[in-house]
Amino acid sequence: MSMRYIGLALRGLCLAVVLTAAGLGQSASPAPPATAVDAAVVKDFEARVTKYMDLRKKQAGSAPKPTNSADKLTKAKEDIGAKIRAARADAREGDIFSPEIAAYFRKQIAATLSGPHGKRIQASLRHAEPIAGLAIKVNDKYPEGVALQSTPPSLLLNLPPLPKELEYRIVDSALILRDITPNLIVDVLRDAIHMPQ
Amino acid sequence: MLPRLFCLILAFLSLAAWRPDAAAWLVPKSVAAFTAPTAEQATPPKPGLDVRLPLQAKSIRFAVIGDSGTGDRAQYEVAQQMEAYRQRVGYDFVIMLGDNIYGNHQPKDFAQKFEQPYKPMLDAGVKFYAALGNHDDPNDERLYKPFNMGGERYYVFKKGDIAFFVLDSNYMDPNQLAWVNQNLRDSNAKWKICYFHHPLYNEGRNHGPDLDLRAQLAPLFRQYGVNVVFSGHEHVYERMKPEDNIYYFVLGNSAKLMDHDFNSNGDMVKSFDSDRGFMVVEIVGDKLYFQTISRTGQTIDSGELARQAPAPSAH
Repeated sequence: MSMRYIGLALRGLCLAVVLTAAGLGQSASPAPPATAVDAAVVKDFEARVTKYMDLRKKQAGSAPKPTNSADKLTKAKEDIGAKIRAARADAREGDIFSPEIAAYFRKQIAATLSGPHGKRIQASLRHAEPIAGLAIKVNDKYPEGVALQSTPPSLLLNLPPLPKELEYRIVDSALILRDITPNLIVDVLRDAIHMPQ
Repeated sequence: MLPRLFCLILAFLSLAAWRPDAAAWLVPKSVAAFTAPTAEQATPPKPGLDVRLPLQAKSIRFAVIGDSGTGDRAQYEVAQQMEAYRQRVGYDFVIMLGDNIYGNHQPKDFAQKFEQPYKPMLDAGVKFYAALGNHDDPNDERLYKPFNMGGERYYVFKKGDIAFFVLDSNYMDPNQLAWVNQNLRDSNAKWKICYFHHPLYNEGRNHGPDLDLRAQLAPLFRQYGVNVVFSGHEHVYERMKPEDNIYYFVLGNSAKLMDHDFNSNGDMVKSFDSDRGFMVVEIVGDKLYFQTISRTGQTIDSGELARQAPAPSAH
């Protein structure tokens, strides 16, 4: 497990170096200064994500390959989803977004939305066909046929990086952790997005 | 009672004659989908097709569609015009600006919203290169071989001297930003064309520009000498005044339409929001020729753009 932490940390460090060298992320809203407590919370979040990814790998196996057949795509997605859902039958909201992690995320999001670039990020959120009134539940599928609201780049710069199989999405005022291939809601952080007036 | 009914029917017929799109809104979507024409019913190409591209030897030619995947009559009618133009223009690939499959992503949806309307083109060997929109399923579509995404949400492909950078504007995370930076920087293509779903510049009222995305991408486009950017999302056609010497197009009306959608601040050179459409593009040497065509075959916009000199800091 410790090797995994080192791997994640190295990946984050490499990305930071690349982005800094490229001059990227400079226009993102600055995150609040990272404290030792914040670092510990992020480490805890990464460990929980890693635990999910271990389970996922065991259930889903290797990633599906490109195909000409929409039938095969649907079947592969449903098979993987069914296996993960069964293996996480007892999953609960907050398994990943624990109270401490939830507080950290809410702080990061609030800082992003109220920072010097907050207005443009809020405008992007408002113009991105916001999803509202959707019933979302951990370990359920994200409702089929419903659009996915885009996540502002500046917000993504201020949240912990995820493995490529997962993504942060916004549903109404909630932030969800979504597993892309099986279209599953891994966890939900409610009351996360507040648009300052 | 009867005179009132007569007046209602008369009003509908008048509306249908005056604005077919407005009248179409009154028809239930399921009916529109059910009556979508088949390939056999397609209107044959008109002999007097208005082609404004020079059709030069050794040029690269392609078509552009955005917000196309509804599976309804309008998509099929645009597809018929595209096929008519393909037979004259001879483009061999199509770039898709996202919202390629609206709604469900069951196998029948891929058939009804992509394979059937574009069947004549697919049968002729035309390749489609898709970008993801907010209505697309990033898993299903990146793995769907006819979309030529190579299993990736963002990717690059080349045609002659032209590099196409296909981005996922739904989820511009730090990894993708780093990828965009590296690939634009390292490319020595003569033409750099980027396309993705959410427009950076847009005078449509429904969505408007994505300002946060613009803050991240526009400096890279400027720095690395991007020539042309295509986006969809807003269900209209817009050709913007060049920004940082870069040509920006919005084309999000290849099936969807947002009628009377503009809130113009004077940043558009040409706009169209009263019917659906698509583009055909030809690039040869330092010139890009374009023609935007409505589903009824009317030329909405056309012109010739010169390749810009690379910015001093560009690679």
